Amino acid sequence: MTILTGKKIHKIYGNKFNKQEVLKALDINIQKGEFVSIMGPSGSGKTTLLNVLSSIDKVSNGSIQIGDKEITTMKEKQLAEFRKRNLGFIFQEYNLLDTLTVKENILLPLSITKVPKKEANQKFKLLAEELGIYEVKDKYPNQISGGQKQRTSAARAFIHEPSIIFADEPTGALDSKSASDLLMKLSELNQKLKATIIMVTHDMAAASFSNRVIFIKDGGIYSHLNKGEQTRQTFYQDIMKTQGVLGGVHHEH
Amino acid sequence: MSIKQLIFRNLKKNLKNYYLYVFALIFSVALYFAFVTLQFDPALDEAKGSVKGAASMRAASVLLVAIVSIFLLYANNIFIKRRSQEIGLLQLIGMTKNRIFHILSIENFMLYYSSLAIGSFIGFAASKLIMMILFKITKVETIATLNFSTHALIQTLIVFTVIYIFIMLMNFLFIKKQSILSLFNVLSSSQIKINKVSFVQIIIGIVGICLIVSGYFVSTKLFGGDFSTMTELFIAMIYILSSVIIGTYLFYKGSVTFIFNIIRKQKNGYLTVNEVLSLSSLMFRMKSNALLLTIITTVSALAIGLLSLSYIAYYSAEKSAENYVAADFSMTVKEDAELFKQALNSHEIAYSERVIDVIQVEVDVRNLIETKLEEINFDPNVMLLSVISDDAIQNVDLSTEETIFTGYSDILQKFMSFKDSGKIDLKGKEINIPQNYLGLKKDFVISNYFTNGGLPTAIVDDSTFKQLKNDLVTEIQKESSIYIGITVKNEKNLEKANDIYTETSEKLNNVSPHSSRLNISNVQKKNMGMIMFIVGFLGLTFLITSGCILYFKQMDESEEEKSNYTILRKLGFTQGDLLKGIRIKQLFNFGIPLTIGLLHSYFAVQSGWFLFGTEIWTPMILVMVLYTVLYSIFGLLSILYYKRVIRESLY
Ligand SMILES: Nc1ncnc2c1ncn2[C@@H]1O[C@H](COP(=O)(O)OP(=O)(O)OP(=O)(O)O)[C@@H](O)[C@H]1O
Ligand SMILES: [Mg+2]
Repeated sequence: MTILTGKKIHKIYGNKFNKQEVLKALDINIQKGEFVSIMGPSGSGKTTLLNVLSSIDKVSNGSIQIGDKEITTMKEKQLAEFRKRNLGFIFQEYNLLDTLTVKENILLPLSITKVPKKEANQKFKLLAEELGIYEVKDKYPNQISGGQKQRTSAARAFIHEPSIIFADEPTGALDSKSASDLLMKLSELNQKLKATIIMVTHDMAAASFSNRVIFIKDGGIYSHLNKGEQTRQTFYQDIMKTQGVLGGVHHEH
Repeated sequence: MSIKQLIFRNLKKNLKNYYLYVFALIFSVALYFAFVTLQFDPALDEAKGSVKGAASMRAASVLLVAIVSIFLLYANNIFIKRRSQEIGLLQLIGMTKNRIFHILSIENFMLYYSSLAIGSFIGFAASKLIMMILFKITKVETIATLNFSTHALIQTLIVFTVIYIFIMLMNFLFIKKQSILSLFNVLSSSQIKINKVSFVQIIIGIVGICLIVSGYFVSTKLFGGDFSTMTELFIAMIYILSSVIIGTYLFYKGSVTFIFNIIRKQKNGYLTVNEVLSLSSLMFRMKSNALLLTIITTVSALAIGLLSLSYIAYYSAEKSAENYVAADFSMTVKEDAELFKQALNSHEIAYSERVIDVIQVEVDVRNLIETKLEEINFDPNVMLLSVISDDAIQNVDLSTEETIFTGYSDILQKFMSFKDSGKIDLKGKEINIPQNYLGLKKDFVISNYFTNGGLPTAIVDDSTFKQLKNDLVTEIQKESSIYIGITVKNEKNLEKANDIYTETSEKLNNVSPHSSRLNISNVQKKNMGMIMFIVGFLGLTFLITSGCILYFKQMDESEEEKSNYTILRKLGFTQGDLLKGIRIKQLFNFGIPLTIGLLHSYFAVQSGWFLFGTEIWTPMILVMVLYTVLYSIFGLLSILYYKRVIRESLY
């Protein structure tokens, strides 16, 4: 079953005199319960794509459907409501509130759905321990490391068990051990709770955790890779080949 | 882009952002100009009444300048910091600091002097209205006319030009001091440092609250008799002032953080979005604004307190006049009274008359008195009181051994009170009549000519009275021993009767004391009205300027927190959700200083209001409500600003 469909997505930044078309008629399809990675050179529009798919940013043109709802025409309030209940985000810049402690940041999404305090605490403890940030729960973001911030951001995305998780470079600041812990957690959420995951990454090892990798370049989709029945190892090899063709960091202009 | 264009564009952009600054500037100029226009208006001489009135006007105008210039300098300081990035950018593209200063000065000049022009115009137009208000409250019956005073204009121009020069000097120093790099850092360095709440802070918080409470406590005891010498009283006042002010400072420095921290601890990490926006941000910010908030709170309290007290005095004018004169008109010479009565008759004004014989008797009140202030030194063996017969007073009938006192001012009561009963001695020249004292009644029955500065009047049985009258100590008798009270039957005729009284009293050749209640009340209204007007004027200016400063602070804060709003909106909180949180936050941001200010002034007024009048609640509550309403306007404006920032934080 398709959960997310994007058709002819255009995204243009700038004004009349200084236009930059970041996404050009991009089509995308995500199945329910899929774990998809998006790869591509820096500046190719991955974050932008994630933002428009998750309704945080508006498309310039085109349509996006989540479930059977067309989100490009939805009112701001409906969108917010939708995001709040169904989506989880791990942002590239972490986006933690610096006046809140780690724990407060993580529990934020639960306060919306009025989960009882006790249950919230249990959930928090479990998740924070899995991600190795329980010790820093009472610190403020400016007192913890980049990796800890990233895991905090991840915990906040998972805590309310959303049906779609958008993750932008979730392992960028992590050592390989923490990275694979986080990816295992993502896989687990994907398998156990059937959460759909859309993850942007530069790291091929990270991408190999997913079912499918989408490569984007010049504002469009360059190619797809399906994991199928392959092992993670062979899938990793495939990704590396495509990445090589695509040519690492891409310099525009 | 040419410099001219640059200036023009900056100006346009700034006007949009700083409309409140411009408004405050116009408003200050208007207030000041109106005030000096009044000061120089000859029509005001009557309202000013005395040299004192004129002097207080002058003192007020100096204070007004002080408030306005501190405000303008402070506001400018906020704005130049906000624009430091822009300044850094101009430097980056190769402009010299002098050049930038030049641009800034021109831009400021245009903004400043156009506001000055508009403000003066509004001030001039408003001065007539203000004058009418002044005449109304001081009961001066003159037509308010519009007199343009060049003198006032020149004075306004000079004052504001001096302020402008200071502002420029400040800008100059600011630009000189900054390097390109530090200019970019101004905003971020002023950002709050978020740390765990330390132990020291908890101590500070507790000490702050204790100091305030102890100050309040002492204030309730101030005139209660615990402080018996002037020195003690003085020390107590100094203690109240300093403990409350320091306490306020510590309160903002630590207590707010401390209290919010306790609340937050109890949430155990589980905060709703409202709490995120209010609690977590207030906790850290109040602390860094502690000094500013202390000043604003203290001066607000002062303004509310003074305004309440002067309004109490104004409001009680009629009531206190009743204490001075027990009828509409009081006379002490029969012939004078005849003359006045004839005049009333000829105008067909109906009246009632009450004549009471009053004698002065020394009374031994040793057993009754509980003096509180040691320094009121008098001999309780020989208190000089007016004595009247119970026949003169309706509803009072005493036996020969009984005496009651009547009419006693609240102020005296505070320093010296009588027991409910006891034995006293009435002393004639030869005889000594022991009496049972039965108590104190509130009403004043004779005029203050007889009451020796607010002492009670003794009422005795007629026979006792006659005995005393036949054995008078002549040295202590007053020139007159008769009180004639004349009360107009129909209230509507009072004004007219008062005119007749004024006319008649000019004809009376001797200087016998006679008084009109209306006149006394009007004189007090005039004096208090003037003070009230001046305090109100200053209070209003202060209110507006401090409200603006809080608003500017909130403007900064909202910009600093914009990224938080972006995050929250990304996570799915709607603008409405955020705004709800902001409302709560502003309730505290404006509400805490306001509440503390109101509390301070409440205790200040409570401790000494009886020195000013007879009625506390209506005037005090009116003043407080008015202040609260005006103050809330700034809170509402800041919410509107937040609304815009929240709206612009995503998409
Ligand atoms: N708010 C914006 N306004 C204008 N241009 C933008 C904005 N956001 C992104 N861009 C431009 O769009 C292009 C794509 O940006 P995007 O952040 O989507 O890249 P990315 O693929 O996520 O890169 P990276 O891997 O470095 O994170 C970039 O060239 C960037 O300059
Ligand atoms: Mg990106």
